[in-house]
Amino acid sequence: MDHLIIEGTKSSPHVHFDADTGVLEIRGKSYPANAAQFYTPILGWVEEWLGKFTARQITLNLEMIYLNSSSSKAFLNLFSILDRHAESGQEVVINWGYHEEDETALECGKEFMEDLEAVNFNLVRITER
Amino acid sequence: MALSIHKLYDSLMQEGIIFCFCGSVSQSIVEGIGETLWQRMEIEGTEANTIRNVFPIFVEQVQNILTHSAEKISPERSGGEELRFGIVTVGKSNGHFYVSCGNYVEQQSAEILGRRLTQLRDLDKEQLKEFYKKQRKLPPGEDESGGAGLGFIDMARRVSMPLEFQIIPMEDGRLFFSMIATI
Repeated sequence: MDHLIIEGTKSSPHVHFDADTGVLEIRGKSYPANAAQFYTPILGWVEEWLGKFTARQITLNLEMIYLNSSSSKAFLNLFSILDRHAESGQEVVINWGYHEEDETALECGKEFMEDLEAVNFNLVRITER
Repeated sequence: MALSIHKLYDSLMQEGIIFCFCGSVSQSIVEGIGETLWQRMEIEGTEANTIRNVFPIFVEQVQNILTHSAEKISPERSGGEELRFGIVTVGKSNGHFYVSCGNYVEQQSAEILGRRLTQLRDLDKEQLKEFYKKQRKLPPGEDESGGAGLGFIDMARRVSMPLEFQIIPMEDGRLFFSMIATI
C-alpha cells in the first residue's frame, strides 16, 4: 500500500503516514474550509491500511499549533478508529506534542486522552531550542 | 468620499479597532487575515495564550459567516471559492481583546444560531467542557450544519465574559445576526 503524504498549507496540516513502518505524523494548523471533506480520505486510508498492517506497533505523532472545532471532531474520529483497533490487541501509541508554553494545546490533548481507552496516549512537552 | 473614509477610519480607531474587514469573505480571507492577525499580536508582544484564544475565535467567527451568511456568491459565479458577505472586527477595549462579527441570515439560520447561543448562556466552564466533549462525539449528520454547534462552545470556553449576540429584524423582513466575544 502507498504511503499517505499531504503537504501542509496555511490552514491544513502536513500529513505523513508511512504504510510500512506504521509511523503516522500530523503537524501544523488545521482549519480548512470543510474539515469533514479534508479528513474523510485520510480516515479512509487509515481504515484500509489497518486491515493490512501486520507489524507490532502503530505510532501516531502529533504536533498541532491549532485545531478548529470541526477539525477537532475529525481528530476524535481518527483517534477512535485507532482506539477500537487497540482494543482488539494491536499496540497503538499516540504522542500528543505540545510546545511548553502552549497551555491550550496541552488542555486539548488532555481532553482527547479522557475520551480514549485502549490506546497509549502520551502528552509530550516540546521544549523550544 | 475621501472625507467619509477618513471619518470611518477615525471612528474605528476611537473604538479601539485593530482590524476590520467588511465584504465578501472566503476561506482565503480567513487564512490571509488570520495569519496577519497572529503575526501582529506576536510583534506587539501579546501573551502567547491570549493569541491562542483570539486567533481561534476569529477563525470560528469568520467560518460561521461562511456557513450562515444569507448573502452569497456561488463558486460557479465567482469563478473560484464561494463568497459570503459579512463584517468582522478585532479590537481592544479596557485591556481585553474582542472579536465581533455580523451578517444577514435566513430565518432558519437565525433560529439555529439563537438557540445554540442561548443554550450556552448559563453554563460554567466545566459544563461547557462536558458539553463540548458530548457534541464532539455526535456522529456527522446529527446536526444542521455538521458542526454540532462546536464552534460556539469553543468560543464560549475561550472568553472572559459571556458571549453576546443579537438578531435584529430589518424592515424588509431580513434578519441581521451579530455577536461579540471578549477574550
